[in-house]
Amino acid sequence: MTMSPHNAPIVEPVPVEDPYAPPKGMDRVVDHLKREWQLYVMLLPLIIWLLLFLYKPMYGLQVAFKDYSIFKGVANSPWIGFEHFETLFGNDQFIRAIRNTVIISFWTLVIGFPVPILLALMFNEILNATYKKWSQTIVYLPHFISSVIIAGIVITAFSPSAGIVNTFLGWFGVEPIYFLTKAEWFRPIFVGTGIWQEAGFQSIVYLAAIAGVSPTLYESAVVDGASRWQMMWKITIPSIMTTIIIMLIIRIGNILEVSFEMIILLYQPATYETADVVNTFIYRQGLQAGQYDFAAAAGLFNAVIAFVLVISANALSRRYSRTSLW
Amino acid sequence: MRKLSLLSGLLLTTGLAAPALSDGHLQIVDEPLTLTIQMNHKRYPTYQEDWPVEQAARAMTGISLQDATVGANITSDQENTGKTEALNLMLASGAIPDIVGSSRLKDFVNQFGPEGAFIPLNDLIDEHAPNLKAFFESRPEIANAISAADGNMYYIPYLPDGKYGRAFFIRYDWLDKLGLEVPQTVQEYEDVLVAFRDGDPNGNGLKDEIPYFARQWPEMIRLVTLWDGRSSGSDTYHDFYVDDGQLKHPYAGEGYREGIKNLARWYEMGLIDAEVFTRGSSSRDYLLSENLGGATHDWFASTSGYNTSLADKVDGFAFKAFAPPASISGVRMEEHRRIPIKPDGWAIGHTNEHPVETIKYFDFWFTEEGRRLANFGVEGEHYTMVDGAPVFTDEVLNSDQPVNNQLYGIGAQLQARGYFQDYEYEKQWSNKFALEGIALYDEGDYLIDQFLGVAFNTDEQKVYDKSWGSIRDYMLERQQAWILGTGDVEADWDDYMATLNQMGLQDVLGVMQSAYERQYGG
Amino acid sequence: MTGVNLESITKRYGAVQVVHSIDLEVQSQEFVVLVGPSGCGKSTTLRMIAGLEEISDGKLTIDDRVMNRTAPKDRDVAMVFQNYALYPHLNVSENIAFGLRIRRESKEAIASSVDEVAGILGLTDYLERRPADLSGGQRQRVAMGRAIVRRPKVFLFDEPLSNLDAKLRTQMRAEIKRLHKRLGVTSIYVTHDQVEAMTLADRIVVMNDGRIEQSGTPMELFVNPVNTFVAGFLGSPPMNQVQAVLAKGANGPQALVGGTVIDLPKLDALQNDEGRKLVLGIRPEYVTIATKGDKNQVPLEIDLVETLGSEALLHALLDGVPFVIKSETIGQISKLDAVTGFTIDPDLIRVFDGETGDALPGQDRAV
Repeated sequence: MTMSPHNAPIVEPVPVEDPYAPPKGMDRVVDHLKREWQLYVMLLPLIIWLLLFLYKPMYGLQVAFKDYSIFKGVANSPWIGFEHFETLFGNDQFIRAIRNTVIISFWTLVIGFPVPILLALMFNEILNATYKKWSQTIVYLPHFISSVIIAGIVITAFSPSAGIVNTFLGWFGVEPIYFLTKAEWFRPIFVGTGIWQEAGFQSIVYLAAIAGVSPTLYESAVVDGASRWQMMWKITIPSIMTTIIIMLIIRIGNILEVSFEMIILLYQPATYETADVVNTFIYRQGLQAGQYDFAAAAGLFNAVIAFVLVISANALSRRYSRTSLW
Repeated sequence: MRKLSLLSGLLLTTGLAAPALSDGHLQIVDEPLTLTIQMNHKRYPTYQEDWPVEQAARAMTGISLQDATVGANITSDQENTGKTEALNLMLASGAIPDIVGSSRLKDFVNQFGPEGAFIPLNDLIDEHAPNLKAFFESRPEIANAISAADGNMYYIPYLPDGKYGRAFFIRYDWLDKLGLEVPQTVQEYEDVLVAFRDGDPNGNGLKDEIPYFARQWPEMIRLVTLWDGRSSGSDTYHDFYVDDGQLKHPYAGEGYREGIKNLARWYEMGLIDAEVFTRGSSSRDYLLSENLGGATHDWFASTSGYNTSLADKVDGFAFKAFAPPASISGVRMEEHRRIPIKPDGWAIGHTNEHPVETIKYFDFWFTEEGRRLANFGVEGEHYTMVDGAPVFTDEVLNSDQPVNNQLYGIGAQLQARGYFQDYEYEKQWSNKFALEGIALYDEGDYLIDQFLGVAFNTDEQKVYDKSWGSIRDYMLERQQAWILGTGDVEADWDDYMATLNQMGLQDVLGVMQSAYERQYGG
Repeated sequence: MTGVNLESITKRYGAVQVVHSIDLEVQSQEFVVLVGPSGCGKSTTLRMIAGLEEISDGKLTIDDRVMNRTAPKDRDVAMVFQNYALYPHLNVSENIAFGLRIRRESKEAIASSVDEVAGILGLTDYLERRPADLSGGQRQRVAMGRAIVRRPKVFLFDEPLSNLDAKLRTQMRAEIKRLHKRLGVTSIYVTHDQVEAMTLADRIVVMNDGRIEQSGTPMELFVNPVNTFVAGFLGSPPMNQVQAVLAKGANGPQALVGGTVIDLPKLDALQNDEGRKLVLGIRPEYVTIATKGDKNQVPLEIDLVETLGSEALLHALLDGVPFVIKSETIGQISKLDAVTGFTIDPDLIRVFDGETGDALPGQDRAV
């Protein structure tokens, strides 16, 4: 009999243990760790990062239900229940901001989601390597420009006096339009700007997916007589469909994360009607006034909606396309 | 009032009587004492212990300050974008230095002071700070204005000197060219702007002149004063104002309605820059240097400066201040002025073990020598006394750098320090066109009293927080819509007022009023 | 009928020439195997026929029509790829139907073709599965099905069996052979495996360094390789190649291998030139083992005996150089360990020039 600690105290005669039996309990864990410790060491930084930057801040979420004072701290601020939420939902502008967020996100998704895919497909069809490199770089470029500059470009481009858009319209006899003060124009301009800025960069992931498609699939299709168009539809797109769906789920999860710096830079009181989103609302009425508790409540609400959306999107995708994030 | 004047007279005498002769008379401590400081301001994100001004103050008082700033956020252009965030960070970190100096300090200390984060200063001033005491007794409205809802003072403010901020500017050379007089009334002003629009004063044959422009679009709204409206009660846009002891909001008044109606008309007529809402801060630079802009409402000093900088570029360029045109009822009003008190300054943290020495140190900056040090720098190095008054040295006046930037660099004119600015410092290097303009405004009595703000108690704060943000947003939305012509102020007005009341404007005005009466003694 | 004709076909990538002016005539219904070591240009040649690579020079005709610049789809060829090139998102039936769909054939026609092909290949039960759910052999069959279903004029196979294990490879080899018999379609098959080449081909084309070394029926190549390269490439184990020097013996030409003398066939080319360097090609199967006392034996030093069942491989050293003998085992098993040398009929020795490696003239045998 072995004298390992876990059977030492047993006094009663016991059936002789099978020395080849698989280890149990702690032994098993220890064996496992001895064998695989390198993997756990590699995992550690991510776990620390998660705990530190994602889980620990969740503690602070409680300020959404508190009358928070920085000086008193999270723990010592008094609870006030759902007061902040009641204030939020009692505010017509917040309701409007939710509506705008959803509408802007919806259009950003519906129009903005396919564009990078199209771009990637188009890049993929370019045969001349130099031309391809240049055009890709040019399309990626706006991603690396700060929002402030982008907003400046947009404001200039849509300016009624010197803007290229109005100049162009002028050729067709259209009177200059002061686009950035017209509520009905804000969403198209914002959504368009976002696409212009990000589509190129977002296309990278699809280009990578396309690069992963075996070239013999195309050769086989060529021999079968497929045109480039058919190859795109019957090979490229189906081959990157998994990537597309995963990206779609992620995008839906971020649907309420409208890039509000850009909105702040582009909107005017005159366009609040269509431009004011939850984040800009929080920024104006919460953070600028140092109301962290109020802002936390609005942010929490945002997160809950996003959570529900991503869960639903994932479930739908799993059911209908056999692709899902988890 | 009588009592106050008496007191202030008394104090003036004490001030004069204080002898500035013997060394060591300003000494606060026998043993050198070091206090920690958080100092965070746009232009100087941390406190520099080697500033000449700090060293001079150290020699005079025996107290030295040691930088303990957290959250300073220095961007590439050496400007600091931290401000309130830095204060919050400092508070959240749990370690409050002995002294906290910052821009935008007032609301912060008035919220967290009563919670215990900062030491109330009233008793300390009474007992240990004769100069501060004298100052506040001579300027009770300032003492009132900085007090928190609990009646205590928690910070010593930076007090700007000089009255004038913005003024009406117009192209005098264009007026000459078109044979027009400087407009004296709103109607004349309109006629001039129309003439600018149609008369091709820049002579390029194109109808590209922009009669009225503004770097900040609320400066266009400011023109409602020409129709007896108001746009703000302080140097903050869209602020409340006090009318005969009653708090009101400018955007809910009849004059405003009339003003907006006419501004919408001006906008429609093309008298106001069509892109006023989006052209942004560079518009003045662009429109003046391109010889396109005709009139604006902007700061004396910086706007006058274009007369020098564009003298070579634009022939005959003369963009100078003119007196506010008379409104429809004949009132000439310059709504904007330098606010006598800023929310910037410094306070004493609750863990400070030397509050008495600290308040004495604060008091030092209100002595004659201290104030001079804060305004002009070190005697002999940066200024010399000429006929009993400080005059900047030639090196300072003739440097490539603007004088104020030089002063920031040596630790003078620190607006995160509680001190009383001396307008003389600015006058010595002001543009002559600015001084001319100021002289012009000095002739008439155009300035009006400012609303210096209130400190809410908790309940008032709740009412204000709940409604005010939304009301302000709604006001601005309607305002722009009316100017842009997507709404008609006359048709919408009753609905507008009803909506404001429904959104709680009266409640907000109610808490403003109660706080105001508590603070300023009604 | 459909033949494929390559006339001076050349392929260059920039300055690098990978196929050097190949001439090859593939008869209608013929099964031609291009075989050679990797990098010999066989796949490139095949891809040029398919239209996947541009032809740098020369003329390609299929069915007497010049195809140099014809799009792949118009060449009426079908190709089976090494990694099968199945569409992972389509099931078996859709994969097979892909080419027909592209050509917009009617639904009914597609369905019946797919059914027929699936029947031929034994895929009827798997039509709804996706490639990921199939075994290697099944995938290979689907790839074949995709080619067959189009009824092309020419089949092109690019190492179709090299991703399979040995057993499956044997099995699929037979299926391909059977299929060719049944369909009778002109086929060009590329492989590096000489067994596949031997078993499948009507004609083998051995390629090396972008050139055709020899082309002929498997037996021709086996019996009469034109040079040492072909000799070393075909046969398992390959032909022994022994460096030797020509000498004159009493009964005719002889070869000196170190101190050993081996009689050579009485070829005209061997009548003079004593001292000429030669390479003797001796098939492991053609030698007879000898034990102590046997006369005229070429002495060997046995290193290792591998018994394979009906036969055995004897790894030996002939004058210090490896030499392999393949011998029957039945009735001789006891002798194998005692082997001291071998004897061989001189006419079974293939003699190559020692310098060029080319077979000497006049020694081809009928097959």
